[in-house]
Amino acid sequence: MEFAPICVYLVISLLFSLILIGVSFLFASSSNLAYPEKLSAYECGFDPFDDARSRFDIRFYLVSILFIIFDSEVTFLFPWAVSPNKIGLFGFWSMIVFLSISTIGFSYEWKKGALDWE
Amino acid sequence: MFEHDFLALFPEIFLINATIILLIYGVVFSTSKKYDYPPLVCNVSWLGLLSVLITILLVASSTPLTVANLFYNNLIIDNFTYFCQIFLLVSTASTIVMCLGYFKEESLNAFESIVLILLPTRSMLFMISAYDLIAMYLAIELQSLCFYVIAASKRDSEFSTEAGLKYFILGAFSSGILLFGCSMIYGFTGVTNFEELAKIFTGYEITLFGAQSSGIFMGILFIAVGFLFKITAVPFHMWAPDVYEGSPTLVTAFFSIAPKISILANMVRVFIYSFYDPTWQQLFFFCSIASMILGALAAMAQNKVKRLLAYSSIGHVGYLFIGFSCGTIEGIQSLLIGVFIYVLMTINVFAIVLALRQNRFKYIADLGALAKTNPILAITLSITMFSYAGIPPLAGFCSKFYLFFAALGCGAYLLALIGVVISVISCFYYIRFVKIMYFDTPKKWILYKPMDREKSLLLAITSFLISFFFLYPSPLFLVSHQMALSLCL
Repeated sequence: MEFAPICVYLVISLLFSLILIGVSFLFASSSNLAYPEKLSAYECGFDPFDDARSRFDIRFYLVSILFIIFDSEVTFLFPWAVSPNKIGLFGFWSMIVFLSISTIGFSYEWKKGALDWE
Repeated sequence: MFEHDFLALFPEIFLINATIILLIYGVVFSTSKKYDYPPLVCNVSWLGLLSVLITILLVASSTPLTVANLFYNNLIIDNFTYFCQIFLLVSTASTIVMCLGYFKEESLNAFESIVLILLPTRSMLFMISAYDLIAMYLAIELQSLCFYVIAASKRDSEFSTEAGLKYFILGAFSSGILLFGCSMIYGFTGVTNFEELAKIFTGYEITLFGAQSSGIFMGILFIAVGFLFKITAVPFHMWAPDVYEGSPTLVTAFFSIAPKISILANMVRVFIYSFYDPTWQQLFFFCSIASMILGALAAMAQNKVKRLLAYSSIGHVGYLFIGFSCGTIEGIQSLLIGVFIYVLMTINVFAIVLALRQNRFKYIADLGALAKTNPILAITLSITMFSYAGIPPLAGFCSKFYLFFAALGCGAYLLALIGVVISVISCFYYIRFVKIMYFDTPKKWILYKPMDREKSLLLAITSFLISFFFLYPSPLFLVSHQMALSLCL
């Protein structure tokens, strides 16, 4: 039931942002319409040198994979973090084992150089 | 809390730790400037072999006197898992032995490929002892995730990339089907444990249009389809030839040896123990016939060795399902004997394929005049091929004989008849190898490098076992009988 105000808030903020966008349309002067120069891509004032397609850098992909892995690790950490007095030492050490395994994965990445940007 | 459970899981814990240590060792030293960035694949594979052998010792030394359920009934240890695990580890060890020379020749520097063989070995150990739908699914996923990676491990080969992608998509699809089946079963019964499921399904008429059981029927059907995908039985086999052909040869060897054991063990546990019911029998009956027929007919048209072996493994899955679809103790026993002998022969044949790597041994025709250039290897390959075909008195004959015998014993006369006919037909392409080696004179003679000592030892042992199995088969029969009994009783 706590989600009802959030839903209302979501709708209101959507409306509010639409209003903010729409107001500028209302008051903008429509005298100077868009001309080709204004619609062209901005590359420091020059015309684009080559095709917009370029090789994708694998490092972005690596970073996003690492993010997914550690994000899911955090998902497992949340329920563990809120219940330390119920799960006892055994629960604590189970999580430590989990964390150490993912730390080993992390150190593998580190040594392999997946985190070097240069 | 779980002191004894951890004691019982000692082999798995050891293997995990050994894998982790190997991973760290490999990555630290292969990136070290001080040692001039050494290629560590040979060191890591020897150490990996050592750790698998120690794991075998650890599993073997903990003889289970009785059944033990571990971790809230998530895992089970009994005679069946005991022997299956030892067998799985032995087959993994022989795969690693096979690929020791491969790394040197191919100058492949990724030590991770060994780590990625040890990791699924660990998950296959868990798969064999899984006693809960969730534990089963997690173990299967852990295994397949490593498999997707090693299938695509040869990054500069288009075939390997394609194989990895194909395997990943179809594997994920089949896992999804399996998971949907599990959730249907859970939704309609409220339990996931195999023992509880067995209690629920005792004497429960599962029919498609039953009052309460249609959901359970669908669940069993989906689980069966998921498993049939994983084991490459016929209507769901289409990925296997491409994946087997595209992946690097050592990976193909691993794929066609180790997962067959673990998935069959898991299937037997699920279908014989938990869902013991004739509803799924017809499905496996059909798949068995279809796999045998397609395996035999499609393999005839193949010219490439690995593709042919893929179809031959599909056909052998069909033969193994004969034992499975009977559902009797004899059937299970013959299935286990069949798996053992199939794995023995496959280790042998892949050791030969890996030994003949000069000039990229790809087509069967490349074997021409092997009888003149390397007569002993030609004899070994002929023995294995005759055994695959089921020629007496070799081991393959014994396995097929017991499978057909079990089929006759449970009244599946049609299955036995089709099996025998197809087995005769499949002799054609197995004997083709022999004909090419002995009677063909090739246009260009291919001289293969002599193989290394590890592979020749492996070949010698497996060919010895294949040729002289019939003289003393009782240990295998006793062990498989014990396994079947511990599963069914």
